Amino acid sequence: MKHSLDLSAGLLAAALMAAPMAVAQDYNQAPMLDPLVEAGELPPVAERLPAEPYVEEVQERVGDYGGTWRRAIRGGGDQHNMVRSIGYHNLVRWSRDWTEVQPHIAKDVEVSDDATEFTFTLRDGMKWSDGEPFDADDIMFWYEDVLTNPALTPGIDPLWTVGGEPVTVEKIDDQTVVFKFTQPYATFLDRIAYGFGSPPTTHPRHYLEQFHEDYNPDIQALIDATDGVDDWVGLFNSKIGPIWTTTYWQNPELPTLHPWRLTNAYGEAQRIIAERNPYFWKVDAEGNQLPYIDRVVYDQVEDNEVILLKALNGEIDYQLRHLGEPQNKAVLFDNQQSGDYRFFDVQASNANQPTIYLNLSHPDPVLREIFNNKDFRIGLSHAIDREEIIDLVYFGQGEVSQAAPRPESPFYVERLAKQYIEFDPDLANEHLDQAGFAERDANGWRLGPNGEPISFVVLATDGDGRTETMELVQQYWQDVGINAQFRPVDRAFMTTTLIGNAHDAYIWDAPGGMSDSITDPRGFMPFNTTVIHIAPLWAEWVMNPEDGEEPPAEIVEQVELYRTIDTIADPQERIETMKQVLEMAADQFYSIGIRQPPNGFGIARNNMKNIIDPLAMSGPLWHPSPNTVQFFFEGGEGNE
Amino acid sequence: MGGFILRRVLYMIPTVIVISMISFAIIQLPPGDYLSSLVAELASSGETMDNAAVAALRERYGLDRPFYVQYWKWIEGIIFRGDFGQSFEWNRPVSEMIWERLGLTFAVSFTTLLFIWAVSIPIGIYSAVRQYSFGDYLFTFIGFIGLAIPNFLLALVLMYLSFKYLGQSVGGLFSPQFIEAPWSLAKFWDMLSHLWVPVIVIGTAGMAALIRIMRANLLDELYKPYVVTCRAKGMPEWRLILEYPVRVALNPFVSTIGWILPTLVSGAVIVAVVLSLPTTGPLLLKSLIAQDMYLAGTMIMMLSILTVIGTLISDILLAWLDPRIRYQ
Repeated sequence: MKHSLDLSAGLLAAALMAAPMAVAQDYNQAPMLDPLVEAGELPPVAERLPAEPYVEEVQERVGDYGGTWRRAIRGGGDQHNMVRSIGYHNLVRWSRDWTEVQPHIAKDVEVSDDATEFTFTLRDGMKWSDGEPFDADDIMFWYEDVLTNPALTPGIDPLWTVGGEPVTVEKIDDQTVVFKFTQPYATFLDRIAYGFGSPPTTHPRHYLEQFHEDYNPDIQALIDATDGVDDWVGLFNSKIGPIWTTTYWQNPELPTLHPWRLTNAYGEAQRIIAERNPYFWKVDAEGNQLPYIDRVVYDQVEDNEVILLKALNGEIDYQLRHLGEPQNKAVLFDNQQSGDYRFFDVQASNANQPTIYLNLSHPDPVLREIFNNKDFRIGLSHAIDREEIIDLVYFGQGEVSQAAPRPESPFYVERLAKQYIEFDPDLANEHLDQAGFAERDANGWRLGPNGEPISFVVLATDGDGRTETMELVQQYWQDVGINAQFRPVDRAFMTTTLIGNAHDAYIWDAPGGMSDSITDPRGFMPFNTTVIHIAPLWAEWVMNPEDGEEPPAEIVEQVELYRTIDTIADPQERIETMKQVLEMAADQFYSIGIRQPPNGFGIARNNMKNIIDPLAMSGPLWHPSPNTVQFFFEGGEGNE
Repeated sequence: MGGFILRRVLYMIPTVIVISMISFAIIQLPPGDYLSSLVAELASSGETMDNAAVAALRERYGLDRPFYVQYWKWIEGIIFRGDFGQSFEWNRPVSEMIWERLGLTFAVSFTTLLFIWAVSIPIGIYSAVRQYSFGDYLFTFIGFIGLAIPNFLLALVLMYLSFKYLGQSVGGLFSPQFIEAPWSLAKFWDMLSHLWVPVIVIGTAGMAALIRIMRANLLDELYKPYVVTCRAKGMPEWRLILEYPVRVALNPFVSTIGWILPTLVSGAVIVAVVLSLPTTGPLLLKSLIAQDMYLAGTMIMMLSILTVIGTLISDILLAWLDPRIRYQ
């Protein structure tokens, strides 16, 4: 018995409505493509679309074709600007409100009852942006020749592995592939609906074969002809990378499945232009091929202040990246009329921000003993006046909270969010006394187990009010006899220190406040070594028991319970189990949270319609794409 | 003279070699490398990268090797193949990236230089000749303001004013509709209408300094006996000043060519960042922050070499202009 992935009622209705539309002559295309079709340079729209195109449910109304969407991009390293506006088209997607996973490039997904096999059915007749067919062979190329090729993929992303065993992909027929795992992986679809699940559908076989050793016997000639590459791996990697790397956005020749395709490379020009992909595979309910907007342009600037000025000047049509910062809100608000734009809300998704992490796997046994004393952490938490921090540092914005899923999330656990949150210096002192550090020296500093005053350094990097918060927290802690010092440091320095487990404590934020609590639990247990939270050595052990150090038994138990989630087929049951994991996190009280940030914002020109408000997004959820295909300008006229 | 030039050129070789080592070492000084910057950058926008993938990339880029191996890999490419390496962050050849930004960088810097000279030489002469007059005080005042206001602040203020009152598109060197257009008279005109902001901003500080230098040097000369002699012989005042003391006072202009050459190429980094100029300045800053070492190393080395060449040129010019200099 297999069960199909649930379609949302709305999407299903839209699909049903669109069913009669599936007659070839009923599809419409953008006027800019008409001359090309008439001249015979493009086949008619019905031949460019798959047999069953994806039917986009529109936000306000069926849109008008035309216009240019203007944005601003930073030079170097800002490829997410493009990823989040025109990229991010995966096999499956998150619904617009981030509550459920829906079919996307795949028209249907079937999951086996034991959650080990995932069968994707593709859309017959779907094409890459150059008109070549997209089918199971392209996914097999990614699997056989990229993911499992050790030269191209030296380390497989844990996303594609379960219990240390990587996925096996098999082609059933031209339109069907099956992803098989040796162990249950119930959260697989949740995970590949996020941005890092994009690689299977970004590798056009017909284009990439020429750069692959196994397919091109004369590859040496190509290597010699290309500057700056020494071998075929270098050549291949210069033509394509994952969409979250710069490389992907520097090769305009690369065919894509995205709604707009680049006409020039990121970094080579002051203005990057993406034009509509005439083979894009989505239509609206009336059979109009999407996207509505003709072009997307990215003006390259070097400074965020310039982006702000451009927005004030009405030179940006829709953007939140680099603009939606609290300090910009007032000036953007004042200039709404002259800039002719409006605000939209961006749902906050962080579990906490900022959050202080004491290094629970500290190399120094004395500090480790102190930090692992739960009463000590409770004392520190009660010593902090969070309301004052919110007022002074965050303009009164946000709710006091520990690191926990947000109240509007299905994973909300009140105890985790609200325990030890009151500002109460007496209670703080009581807990610190109870922890065994009642003795003080002549300066009033509490003495640790070795008879020395307790003293540690908290690393803080610039941005999001972290250093300002630490300045206050340092004082609160000194008031209760703990000699904490904060040190502002460079981000790269901090990363190096964290990876080396050489820090006492640091201040950062906690991810996983919404639906991503279940896939990104780094704030709630030692897990995943990428940006390490809580205890680097324990996290290493959790990821691979040959590395790092085994954490205490209760934590091992928590991690094991978390791992059972992937064996549970029922989504509701997964949520319940995750809540148990979060209760265990509350017992441990790993980190000291300050507040949950409020919603962010972005701006859109008044004539831009079908935008999503409020917009759900997060670190791995790369919205507003793929919803941008339905954005349009009233009357089809842009603002250029 | 020939021997003098040859000797100076020979001295340059060890200097350049040492500079290349130092510039490469400076980039390696901060803790971490390009990949730790990358991981940090990703983390700050909520994205993550697996440690295994980071280690694999580190091996691929050769960042796990000792300093001298990395240095040799870079320098060997430059010497034997003219290959300055790849920029990690931009994933493109370093030489290409610098080259395409050089044209506009020269345009901005050269215009600025002309602006500085055109303004500060006459003012400097005027201030010296009419010492302690109202005009002298006025220009001194303006000059000090130019020196005292940080360039980036002036840039922000001018940008805000041009947004508020001129309704001009801010940042960059072109209006949006001209960015992708081929070169034309209209585009050139558009560039000129944007160019004045960076020229004034970068120019003010340099202008103030040169006015002061010109004034001080000329004052030293004006009361020398040869000036009095000329005047006694009935030479017209303006011709006298321009023909003798001003020429002597110009020496510092020539000797500063050595510093001007590298600034012509580097642009004014901070101002260029603030104004979003498509010049080499922002590229240099960004590459240093990201620890993009081949790009940063090449730019620092290039700037140092230009300083060395500039010093050589000003030495030669001085030797040629000033008969007091001996070739020893």
